[in-house]
Amino acid sequence: MIKKKNISDKTINVACACISIGAFLFLWYWGTAFTKLGMLIPGPVEVLETVTAGFFGKVGRHSILVHVGYSMIRVMIGFIVGSVFGIVLGLLMGWYRIAEAIFNPLFRIIRPIPPIAWIPISIIWFGLGENAKIFLIFLASFSNTTLNSMAGAKNVDREVVNAAKMLGANERQIFTTIVLPASVPSIFAGLQVAISSSWATVLAAEMVRSSEGLGWMIVAGMNNNDMLQILSGIVMIGVVGFILAIIMRKAEDILCRWNKSGN
Amino acid sequence: MSMEQERKLKNGNLIECTNVCKAFETPEGEYQVVKDFNLETRENEFLVLFGPGQCGKTTIINMIAGFERVTGGSIKSQGKEISKPDPSRGVVFQSTALFPWMTTMGNVEYGLKMAGNKKAEREKRAQKYIDLVGLQGFEKAFPVKLSGGMKQRVGIARAYCNEPEVMLMDEPFGALDAQTRYLMQEELQRIWEAEKRTVIFVTNNIEEALYLADRILVLTNCPATVKKEYVIDLPRPRNLVSPEFLALRKEITGIMDSTL
Repeated sequence: MIKKKNISDKTINVACACISIGAFLFLWYWGTAFTKLGMLIPGPVEVLETVTAGFFGKVGRHSILVHVGYSMIRVMIGFIVGSVFGIVLGLLMGWYRIAEAIFNPLFRIIRPIPPIAWIPISIIWFGLGENAKIFLIFLASFSNTTLNSMAGAKNVDREVVNAAKMLGANERQIFTTIVLPASVPSIFAGLQVAISSSWATVLAAEMVRSSEGLGWMIVAGMNNNDMLQILSGIVMIGVVGFILAIIMRKAEDILCRWNKSGN
Repeated sequence: MSMEQERKLKNGNLIECTNVCKAFETPEGEYQVVKDFNLETRENEFLVLFGPGQCGKTTIINMIAGFERVTGGSIKSQGKEISKPDPSRGVVFQSTALFPWMTTMGNVEYGLKMAGNKKAEREKRAQKYIDLVGLQGFEKAFPVKLSGGMKQRVGIARAYCNEPEVMLMDEPFGALDAQTRYLMQEELQRIWEAEKRTVIFVTNNIEEALYLADRILVLTNCPATVKKEYVIDLPRPRNLVSPEFLALRKEITGIMDSTL
């Protein structure tokens, strides 16, 4: 009975999503085809055609997929390195008072600075190549994961820690078998923010200076006054961002299944 | 080790509290929670600390467990001063304090894993205690999927699996509904009969105390100290409405009322 209800809830959600997206596309199509809006922006059909053409043909020197690949590789390297650093530092700061006393003041000064503010410095330090972009993405994911991991480690149930002690766990075992897994839900909240922040940062970095990637695509489109290239770039940015969020949520569902009372 | 201590050990005197005091610093000054508390356990006895609401019973258990330090007097385990938690003293928490990211099996075998036992060996031993508490078939379930009573069964199996010398139980059934509570009292009695241990059990429920205890220490309200001791030698399992049971219940309740 309950299961049946869940399925129909899901069906309703999917139907509503289809209706709202369909209505948006229809309005876009109708507006560009039959009103003066068509002079400002191409219609959805043309954009879709350009995206499809971009997959098989070339935008600049590469196909769209290669541009996506360039942006993704930059994001992945920076995101993984930044998150690992962030998780370790955050958990240490959240669990050991001395680590918090040493690192937190510094962290609190650096954290509010948006990653894109580092663009000029990163170019001076690392030049115009990949390292500058990866450094920016590192910063974007690092501060978000640090903050959330720290909150996670701080909120570990003391009684659960006592239970581990009573069962004979030593300091190191408590950190790895209790503090770390107990913080996983918070860590994931941080990773969600970190991945979207990284994605935003890579585009900004590519817009400043690069010869490939989705950020390059939309800036090149602007320089050539090619509205279709800009829009297909934006569509791809949206699609990739959406897919990244879904992957993160799936990973969270698997790793945090102990935290959910459903199914 | 002195003769005196050796004699006590032979008598199974595992836990010995001598004039234990505990005070907390508060902005309004010192707050005495436990005062001159004395206790000696006997081998494999079921000892119940019975007292009103927030009277420092949990603090006593926490100090015996090694989670908190005494501010006066001493607590010894087998003649040695207690300074930190130890696997020889298993604790069952009112909040269960299970590891929510571990399955039933993971929770129960945790202590063995930390001690470096091999997987096959620890699973075998954990299974024994999972079976003992009646959770066969729930080995792979996460705590979030278990009912309150089942969670506490995991908590009991987890503490038992380390084969401690003493079990400390801090109102383990306090958060359960009445029906489940009765059932769990029967279950605990059965488990304890099957695997005899020295148990120190805290409760504020007189029926529970009388149903389970070999000996009851009635505590005063804050600061907690022993007001009276009862040795309960009614046959087990106990009948909750037998005249002897009801008479004891009436008597102890009377003492409690005069304490408040």
